[in-house]
Amino acid sequence: MAGTGAAHLLLPTSVIGSWSVPDWLERAKTGVHHGAVSRTQLADMHDMAVKAALKDQEVAGIDIVSDGELRRDNDVDYLLSRVPGVQAPNPVKAFYFDYLDLHLTGRLVEPGPGPLGLAPDLRFTLAHTDRPVRFSMTGPFSLSRRLRCDDHAYPRRTELVLDLARVLNAEARALAAAGAQLLQLDEPFLAGYPEQVELAMAAVNVVTADVPVTWALHVCYGNRYARPLWEGHYDFLFPAVLDTGVDQLLLEFARKGDEDLQLIGRHDWDRTVGVGVLDVKTDDVEPVDLVIDRIERACKIVPPERMVITPDCGLRHLPAPVARAKLHAMTTAATQVRERLLRESTG
Amino acid sequence: MLVEIRPTSRLRGKSAVDLSAALAPVLDALIADPAADDLDLSRLRVFVDWIQYRNGFSAPVELRPVVGSAALELAVDLRRTAGSDPDGVATAVAAALHAHRSGGPRDHITLEEWGPTRHSRIWGFNTLYWLHLRHWEEATGQGYESALPGGRSKARDVAPVRETIAGLFAIWDGLAERRALPEELYVVELGVGNGGQARTWLDTFVEMDRAHGRDYHRRLHYLMCDYSPHVLELARAEVAEHRDRVSSFVLDARRPLTSLAFLRFKAFFVYISNVYDNLPTDEIATIGQREHLVQSRAYLPADAAGAVAHRLGVPPEGLRTLVDKLLRLGPELLAEAAPQHFPRGTADAVEFWRDCWQGLRLQERYVPLQGLDTYEIAPGISGELLRPLLSTGGDMRMHVSNGAATSFAETLPLLHPYGSLQCHDIVVTDPHQYRVSFRGPGKYDGSVVNWVNGPLLAHIGARKGFDVAFAPFAPDGGHVVTMTAQVRD
Repeated sequence: MAGTGAAHLLLPTSVIGSWSVPDWLERAKTGVHHGAVSRTQLADMHDMAVKAALKDQEVAGIDIVSDGELRRDNDVDYLLSRVPGVQAPNPVKAFYFDYLDLHLTGRLVEPGPGPLGLAPDLRFTLAHTDRPVRFSMTGPFSLSRRLRCDDHAYPRRTELVLDLARVLNAEARALAAAGAQLLQLDEPFLAGYPEQVELAMAAVNVVTADVPVTWALHVCYGNRYARPLWEGHYDFLFPAVLDTGVDQLLLEFARKGDEDLQLIGRHDWDRTVGVGVLDVKTDDVEPVDLVIDRIERACKIVPPERMVITPDCGLRHLPAPVARAKLHAMTTAATQVRERLLRESTG
Repeated sequence: MLVEIRPTSRLRGKSAVDLSAALAPVLDALIADPAADDLDLSRLRVFVDWIQYRNGFSAPVELRPVVGSAALELAVDLRRTAGSDPDGVATAVAAALHAHRSGGPRDHITLEEWGPTRHSRIWGFNTLYWLHLRHWEEATGQGYESALPGGRSKARDVAPVRETIAGLFAIWDGLAERRALPEELYVVELGVGNGGQARTWLDTFVEMDRAHGRDYHRRLHYLMCDYSPHVLELARAEVAEHRDRVSSFVLDARRPLTSLAFLRFKAFFVYISNVYDNLPTDEIATIGQREHLVQSRAYLPADAAGAVAHRLGVPPEGLRTLVDKLLRLGPELLAEAAPQHFPRGTADAVEFWRDCWQGLRLQERYVPLQGLDTYEIAPGISGELLRPLLSTGGDMRMHVSNGAATSFAETLPLLHPYGSLQCHDIVVTDPHQYRVSFRGPGKYDGSVVNWVNGPLLAHIGARKGFDVAFAPFAPDGGHVVTMTAQVRD
């Protein structure tokens, strides 16, 4: 966990990114599209919501926290609509969570410093917690899947993905300069296109290049509307992911079962693994014993000192009390396993 | 005074209603009848409708108060009043006004307290019908399907079935190539009718699977689900040849996950036919830009109650207890519990049931809502979702389709990431349709029917990640709509 401030901790707990979105915030986010709420008011609400989310995570005992991605309408629009050259012909949404129809008419230009302007979000988060912060961006492959572009500008999608990666790299540099220690790329659409994993991983390397932070990569089977977007197995990730520069690989195992954990050992992944132990697609709160079982099983495959305990994915679709209860179960379970491991190592 | 005329299509054409003649006795009574003397006409709305059901729950003329306000609505069914004796219509208006002034008709036998319509006794009768359908059919001498509007059985239409199965094969082939095809391939049917749909579907599947050559049939599980054990039994007999691939479940369509939780994210196709129109619903109305819940109260009119009570040898007030027992016990046990009233046993109890059902009416009133978010459409679904539908300008009254919304919202989680849902039912596809026509409730034989609020289901679907589309059911058209839900984005 070098560079994250949680280096001393065995089995640190972390969120993946998004936090439960309160109904009032959903209404406000939608209301801003229809003139019921001003942008200034919404920005103020976002600040309040982020602070509350940080507090919730801290109270739940999470070691590595996030801003809950509460400023973002969804996993794509907040980032992709800020990419210089990307346009939204109709920026008004019926419901805030809908995806915008985003277009690119020409080639992406060489990005300047911090082209997405995320550094203020990060600074705000760092200013309101003393815990290590995980700051996420949707990866270039997934962003490219939501971007319509002119065939003349990009006759090959490969070039578009790599150009988006360059934009994200510029942004990552700005985030590192703003104090980021742990940056994460999310690739929620990759599991639907396993045959393109080589391209996606090449793009990951473009993003991470020469950015002096701990890098995490989260690949799941989708969580939009609390539903899986795809089905399959993680074997498509290997061996391509071995050639990336990421330090952590965060995967979902609670909902799908941990059969694919075997891939970690089989392919000699020698870096940190984020083990998803909470199913975020159900409101049922996992009993602590069940989470302990999941962590213990993972410990048989992944050395505990290379493991981060996480939910399967973001908590956006869970009611806040459920999200809090699930995290509490996770941190309690992690603490108990950690204590057992420490007892055994000292005894 | 505001006069709102919903069935505008009836005002023109060869068989146009003479609106002036139809409304004259209504307006005359409102202006001239002594019972209307203290009525503030400026707060009165005359709501003219066309209730197409031969058997319904309303009187031709009714007065609906707005709780906490002097506002009133006089509801007039043009179908039953136009062409009627004008004096009779005027008398009905005067009687409604008089009853309102004196706190309600005294000779009606009310069967419940005021409450949201979805909790009304009418739904108890509806449940009774499906649970004891065999007795009803024996008494009427006809199967329940014959009472449904023409063309409702879609069982034998092979073309859409072939299209669906071809689509599934394409999905399964793609998943198989990526080693992502599950071992078990689930298809669910909610509301199985006579089993004809299942039979057609499975026959066609076998034929197409042989031609396709992937042996998907070996992995197929067809799950038939229905609320009525009797209907399910008939359907099972219809698909006896496919019994190795078919399982059946008695379940409440509003709670599919109670029986089918193991199918979460696993069903590739869910087919629902003629279910949603038969599930409990409230109605919400905007009056003067404020949202109101329509509350109702079931009653037996004096003449109907008197006739039934006389035959059973009880005072009319005694019918409340007997109706309670009927809804709680069903006709067989009711006959056993009260043999003095039902000497011929179950047959007498069924006759009582049918008579009560025939006479059953609903009083209505409007109760202001303290914000749409204080109203729950279905578990976890706030009334706020109705706002875009109600905010289309002017006053509006629409169904909430609570039962359908609950069922739909709880069925969507069954769908595999590549799954889809198809529904055949009578569906309102545009909120404007609520402004121009009556959409229920009505009586189909022994059950309740309401058109389904399609735009609301589309909103619910969108919030859960599904695009919902509507198309007229081909090829016979009619009122039936094909509603399809597909994963969006």
